[in-house]
Amino acid sequence: MAAKDSPLKQFEIDPISNIELGGYNISFTNSSFAMLITVLVITLFLTLTVNTRSIIPSRMQLISELMYNFIAQLLSDTVGDNGKRYFPFVFSLFMFVLIGNMVGMVPYQFTFTSHIIVTFALAAVVFIGVTILGFINHGIKFFTFFYIPGVPFYMHPLLIPIEVISYLSRPISLSVRLFANMLAGHTLLKVFAGFVVSMPFFTGVFPLAFIVALTGLEILIAFLQAYVFAILTCLYINDAYHLH
Amino acid sequence: MPQLNPEFFVSQLFWLAVFFTFLFVFLWRVSLPRIATVLEKRQNKIDENLSSAKELQEQAMEIEKKINDQINKAKLETDEKIKETINALQENVSSQLSSLDKDLEKKVSDAEKEILKSKDDQMKNINNEIVNITKLTVGKITDIELSDNELNKVIETQKGSFN
Repeated sequence: MAAKDSPLKQFEIDPISNIELGGYNISFTNSSFAMLITVLVITLFLTLTVNTRSIIPSRMQLISELMYNFIAQLLSDTVGDNGKRYFPFVFSLFMFVLIGNMVGMVPYQFTFTSHIIVTFALAAVVFIGVTILGFINHGIKFFTFFYIPGVPFYMHPLLIPIEVISYLSRPISLSVRLFANMLAGHTLLKVFAGFVVSMPFFTGVFPLAFIVALTGLEILIAFLQAYVFAILTCLYINDAYHLH
Repeated sequence: MPQLNPEFFVSQLFWLAVFFTFLFVFLWRVSLPRIATVLEKRQNKIDENLSSAKELQEQAMEIEKKINDQINKAKLETDEKIKETINALQENVSSQLSSLDKDLEKKVSDAEKEILKSKDDQMKNINNEIVNITKLTVGKITDIELSDNELNKVIETQKGSFN
């Protein structure tokens, strides 16, 4: 357990109500609360802004449409026409990570994307889904994904294991990338926030100014990581359709 | 590091599954079809407007063509009329000119005839005058009385040398 004023204290999970189901602890925690807020923000925003269904959109409706088109464009650019049926999933994933990151930027609010178990679960869903999709599309031929054509034959004993390892490490890289970015960003903010308090006299304004700039950067990273998560999911789906 | 504490792993996975599944189903079944409907409706409207604009443009072009055709036709008709009028005028002028020419010719020939006639008359008168003068002169100088017939004979014989 971290000390009382450790920068890592913000990542601690506090149960709000203790629930137990079949011997497992499924307490509703601050992490679950952040997820609830995230889901509410997304569903309410996307529902209320498009409620009028006007042909000439209001600003808020335009934001919803831009998000829709952003992911639709991303999916059609990377996967093509096959990608349309995965649009709801990729869109949900993108919005969940994006708004989860943004909710985390609100002071005193918990960032669930800074927990490896959450990001790993999301990445594992993508990984398992894409692998199943690959086997559905190509059957046993999906294993030729690890065989790179046009390479001298004596390189294959080396390359095939590398390909297998890189494929298996996809969920790890996908989840750790998001988790580490969120962890590092929030820790850094907290460390500098500690400097603001502990530095003598007015010198505290310097770390404060730094926090302001860093908050902007963190908002950028929050968007960027959601984008990276979505685009990598699209690329993995594309791989399940088109082997080398 | 609280992230590596497995105490709440099950809880987080459970609530993640609950919320993410809810979000996915809600977006899939409610939100995204709504946005898609709006976008489709807009696209339809745009297509409709574009096609009606195209139709109107075609109609405008047709009307323009008709106008041009009519202008060309009118031009041709006008040219034809102008030509006809010029021809008619020319014919009129030439016929008038020719009738004028005829009149003039007739007048000239009449005048010539009259001149000839008066010349003849004058010549006759001159003959008479010559006879009278000769008669008088001869009568004064001599006592010979010449008859008109004799004198006329002489004049007639001498006439060739006058001319």
